[in-house]
Amino acid sequence: MQSVLVVDDELDVRDAIERVLTRAGYSVRTAGDAADALAELRRCHADVVITDIIMPKINGVEGIECIRKEFPAVRIIAISGGGNFGITAYKPDAITTSAYLAAAERAGAHLVLTKPFESTDLIKSVEQVLGVGHA
Amino acid sequence: MARLKKSFANVVAACVVALHLVLLPALYYGLGYVVRKSHENLFIEHARIFARVLADEFELGVALESESRTEDLLDLAIVHGDGRYAELTDGARSVRSKLGSPNIKAPRRTDLTFAQGGDEIYFVVLPIIHAGRNAELRLGFDEQPTLERIHLALNRMLVVLAVYFGVAMVIAVILSHRLSRPIHRLQDVSRSIASGDYAQALQITTGIRELHELAADLENMRRELVGVNDRLQAKIKEKEISEIQREELQKQLRHRQRLETVGTLAGGIAHEFNNVLVPIILFTEMALQDLPASSVSRSDLERVLAAAQRAKDVVKKILTFSRELGDVSLALIDLRTVIADSLNLFSALAPPSIEIRTEIGDAIAPVRADATLAVHLVINLCTNAYQAMQGTQGVLTIGLRNHGIPPAAGETARVEFWVSDTGHGMDPRTAERIFEPFFTTRSVGVGTGLGLSVVHGIVESFGANIVVETEPGKGSTFRIFFPAVLREDRSVESTAPVV
Repeated sequence: MQSVLVVDDELDVRDAIERVLTRAGYSVRTAGDAADALAELRRCHADVVITDIIMPKINGVEGIECIRKEFPAVRIIAISGGGNFGITAYKPDAITTSAYLAAAERAGAHLVLTKPFESTDLIKSVEQVLGVGHA
Repeated sequence: MARLKKSFANVVAACVVALHLVLLPALYYGLGYVVRKSHENLFIEHARIFARVLADEFELGVALESESRTEDLLDLAIVHGDGRYAELTDGARSVRSKLGSPNIKAPRRTDLTFAQGGDEIYFVVLPIIHAGRNAELRLGFDEQPTLERIHLALNRMLVVLAVYFGVAMVIAVILSHRLSRPIHRLQDVSRSIASGDYAQALQITTGIRELHELAADLENMRRELVGVNDRLQAKIKEKEISEIQREELQKQLRHRQRLETVGTLAGGIAHEFNNVLVPIILFTEMALQDLPASSVSRSDLERVLAAAQRAKDVVKKILTFSRELGDVSLALIDLRTVIADSLNLFSALAPPSIEIRTEIGDAIAPVRADATLAVHLVINLCTNAYQAMQGTQGVLTIGLRNHGIPPAAGETARVEFWVSDTGHGMDPRTAERIFEPFFTTRSVGVGTGLGLSVVHGIVESFGANIVVETEPGKGSTFRIFFPAVLREDRSVESTAPVV
C-alpha cells in the first residue's frame, strides 16, 4: 500500500484529505507543519507528500526544498488557497496563490493543486504523481 | 492746491511772472535813467552851444552898437533857441527880449543841472567883452519840451516792456504746455500700467532729449513688466494646472490604494474561505458516497455541495478582483473578435427592450490580454449596463477605436474600448466606490456587487486602465484604455484565438 503524508496547519483540511485518500486505498499520515512532516518522514517512509504552502514556523516552500533534499524519491503535491496569516499581511504586494504555487514548483513540487478541490481532483493528482515519474 | 503744486505749466508760469516782476522794474528804472540823462545832457549841450554862439555874435558882431540890434539878437534866441528868457546887461543898463516871459527873474549864474529850481527853465549866464565893455548874457531855455520828450520816451518804454511781458507770458505758457504734454502722456500711460493695463505702449513724440530718453526707459520698463507679468501669468497657470493634476493624481492614488487595500483584504478572506471549503466539499462528497441512493439526506448534501460550488465561484471572483489571476495568459488579441464573441453570448441574456449598438473603428490595433478574461470583461460591463437600464427602453453602445496610432509626439498608442448606457447613471460618491467588491446600488438579489470589481481586476491584469463617466439620470460610460501593440512591437508574438 502506497503511503501519503498530508501536511497542513488546518486540522479540518488535514482530516478531510486523510479520509478521502484512506478511502481511496492509501496509507495516510498527517503533520501540522513542515518540521513535524520532516520528523515523520525520517521516522517512516512516504511515497507522496501533500503539503500546504502557508504554514507557521517553516513554510511549505522551504519544507518542499528540505524534503527534496533529504528524500529525493518522495513525490510532492503542493496545495494552496493562497495565504495571509493575519491582517498585517493584507498589504498590496502580498504574495498571490499562483505565486506561492509557482514557488512551490520551483522548489521541487511535482504538482500543484489550488484549494478548494474536489475528492476526484485530489485522487487524480496523487495517482498522477505516482504514475508519472519525476526527476 | 496740491494740483497747482503738481502742475508743470503753472510752475513755469509762476517762475516767469516772478522773474519778470523782479527784472522788469529794474530794467524800466535803469533804461529810464539812461533815457532821461541822455535827453537832459543833449538839451544842456544844445543850450550852452546856442548861448556860446550868441555870446560870440555879441562879442564879435555889431549887435551891441545899437539897442535895437541887441534886442533883435535876443529875440532870435527866444524864437530859434526855444528860449523863454534873454537879457544882456552891463550892470548899468539891461536889454531884455520882449518875446520872453516878463515875470521871470534870471539867476546870476548858470544852472548846474537840468530842471534846477523847479522853474522848468535852464539858465545860462555868459560874460561878454566887447570893445572894452563888460556885459553879461543871460539866457533861459525852456525845459518843458525836453521833459515832455523824456516822459514820452518813458511811456513808450513802459508800453514796450508791458508788451514784452505779455508776449513772454504767452510764450512761457505755450512752452510749458508743450513741455508738459509729453509728461502728461507719460503720466497717463504710467497710471494705466499701474492699474494693470500693460498693453499700452509708451510712444512719446518729443524733441526734448531728456523726455525722449525718459519715455524710452519707461517703455523698456513696461516691456520688462509685460514680460514678467506674462511669465508670472504662465507660471500661475502652470501651477494651477499642476495643482489640478496633482489633486487628480492624489485622488486616483487614494482610489487605487483603497481598491488595493480592499482587494488585498478580500483576497485574504477569500483564501481563508478556500481553506474552509476544502473540508466542506470533501466531507460532503464522502457523506454522499456513504449514503444509500434512497436516502433523503442526499438531496440536502447535494445542496451543500452546490452551495459550496457557488461559494467557490464567489471566491474566484473575489480573487479576480484582487488580481489573483493565476491562469492569466496574456497574448495578442483582436478586441473586435472579443466583442463579436461577447455579443453572441450577451444578446441571449439581454432583454428585447435594450437596443444594442456598436461603433467599431477601422484597423484596430491588437492588444495584449487574455481572450477568455476579455470576453468575461465585456459581458460583465454589458450586464452592468443593461441592469442600469432595467425596466426602460435603453440603448447600450459598445465602441472601439485607436488613439495615437500612428503615435504623435507625447501621445501613447492606445486602444479604447467603451460601453455606454442610457440608464440611471450615478452620483460622484457612488462612482468612486463601484469597483469595490460587494458594493452595489441594486436591490438584494439583483447582482452580487462583484461584477465591476471583477472588471477592475481583469483590466489591471491586462495593464490597462478604466475610467467612468457618469451623471445621475444621463447614463454611464465605462472606458478602458489598452496599451496598443504596434507592428514593430509584435516580434514573435502572434494573435491568440479567442476561446
